[in-house]
Amino acid sequence: MVVFVCLCVLALLFLAPTLGVILSSLKSTREIAFGALWTLPGGLYLENFREVLAHPSVKTYFANTFLVTVPATAGSIGLGILAGYVFSKLPFRGSELLFLVIVSGMFFPPQIVLIPLFRMFSGLGLLDTLWPMIIVHVAMGIPICTLLMRNFFATVPNALREAAIVEGANEWQVLTRVALPISLPALAVLATLQFTWIWNDFLWPLIFTQSDEKRTIMLGIVSLKGQYSVAWGIQGALSLVASLPTLIVFLFFQRYFIKGMTMGAIKG
Amino acid sequence: MNRHAVFWRAALLALPLAVFGVFVVWPLLDSFYYSFTDWNGFDPRYRFVGLENFARIVTDRLFTNATVNTVIWMVLALLLPTLGGLALALLLDSRAVRGANVFKSIFYLPICLSAVVVGQIWIWIYQPDWGLLNTFIEAVTGRPETFAWLAKPQSALYSVIVAWSWQQMGLSMVIFLAGLTAVPADLTEAAAIEGANRWQKTWYVVLPMLRPATVVVVALSVINSLKGFDILYIMTAGGPFHSSDTLAMFMYNESFKKYRMGYGSAISVILFLLTLAIIFFYFRQLRKLDEIHG
Repeated sequence: MVVFVCLCVLALLFLAPTLGVILSSLKSTREIAFGALWTLPGGLYLENFREVLAHPSVKTYFANTFLVTVPATAGSIGLGILAGYVFSKLPFRGSELLFLVIVSGMFFPPQIVLIPLFRMFSGLGLLDTLWPMIIVHVAMGIPICTLLMRNFFATVPNALREAAIVEGANEWQVLTRVALPISLPALAVLATLQFTWIWNDFLWPLIFTQSDEKRTIMLGIVSLKGQYSVAWGIQGALSLVASLPTLIVFLFFQRYFIKGMTMGAIKG
Repeated sequence: MNRHAVFWRAALLALPLAVFGVFVVWPLLDSFYYSFTDWNGFDPRYRFVGLENFARIVTDRLFTNATVNTVIWMVLALLLPTLGGLALALLLDSRAVRGANVFKSIFYLPICLSAVVVGQIWIWIYQPDWGLLNTFIEAVTGRPETFAWLAKPQSALYSVIVAWSWQQMGLSMVIFLAGLTAVPADLTEAAAIEGANRWQKTWYVVLPMLRPATVVVVALSVINSLKGFDILYIMTAGGPFHSSDTLAMFMYNESFKKYRMGYGSAISVILFLLTLAIIFFYFRQLRKLDEIHG
């Protein structure tokens, strides 16, 4: 019982910040100006959300973020599948070391490759397009995707692969018809993790984009903040709308999300 | 069979290795290269300056400042989410807790929010006039409170670290919970039969079994603290007066605000070596644990 009460208090403390944003997004600027940011709203006021959703820039940010997140998620998982399969089913001399080198990639702060990537994409004339973000997210996702796929493929019995090979299948067929169909849980884990991280990213769009038309949502809401400097309710609505896709993913795939985080952390 | 395997290894690894090599490994080496130049970010020409950038770093007070802040961040980001996560995990592990899964989700939710949104939320909490923190302090003390947490050099860094810890705690909790499932129930039962109370059971039986999980949490905290950038950028951008600059922030400002890309590269080389040392230490600890636990 004591434990339960403790947990309730802690949960309330933990939720308070998020609740504050939700509450403020449901109030008019007038209501907030009278000093009522953290209280319950007087009535259901949805004008903030209407304003945010009707804003042309917000639509652009959303479109851009989807155009970056979906291909980058798919691409990084695809490459992780290829590498993970080799490291798990076709190991060779030195493959363990190569695997370690790739996996350690996920521990480094992105700052260490910021300048060369900026220079590279500027040389290619790709600055202020969505391409650098897609490419960089695919590349940066390889470590975690390779790690999780290798660990998952390790649980696929070798006998299955050998049986298929004896019957004349090649490695590609083993991978796509035997290993992948039973790896759907691992794919779900990776898809939730990658989607969330890429969606929430702020650093790469900050480096690679200049014009408003190319911004993704997280950079976008920061730049819109200036426009609504005292309209706290609209700022709250912006934050919520921007977080909605990841919140939905979290609510539905929470199990996979948590599994991915612990798998990535413990086996790392 | 053997030649067949060689072919498939090459065929399957070609694309992932190419992408990883071109967009991760190569830029990393390139950082070393630019750290010996005075490139300014847009001019195609640049000079080689040898070790000048590194010589300047050693005497740069802003670098020392950012390093000290990074260490402060590292230590606090190690203590707060780790101890908090451990406490939450131990509370949740008492098998009889009602709604344990709901609690888990609540504590874990901040992880899926972006640093931008978390930063935004905490800017409101720290807002001097109507922020939640000052409102709370006013309610408790009965005196008006208008301290500007994020605008004062003595509190800015710590305020951001608290926000960061709020987000990271759920991650430590989940890893500790995974570690707790590895504690055999008969061990704690045996301790209970021997007359151990709740605290003794936790201290003498459960905590020693959590050592592997602790190594993971500690390593992750240290590594993640070197990545602390987004939330800082949103909340203070390193200010006021560089009081919340970390190495990652400092590197960004030197390179992309002051256009000293050569100098920025030198900072990133140091950041790289620092991370490498930590990772090396982490893998060695993991190996030791593997040897102990088989």
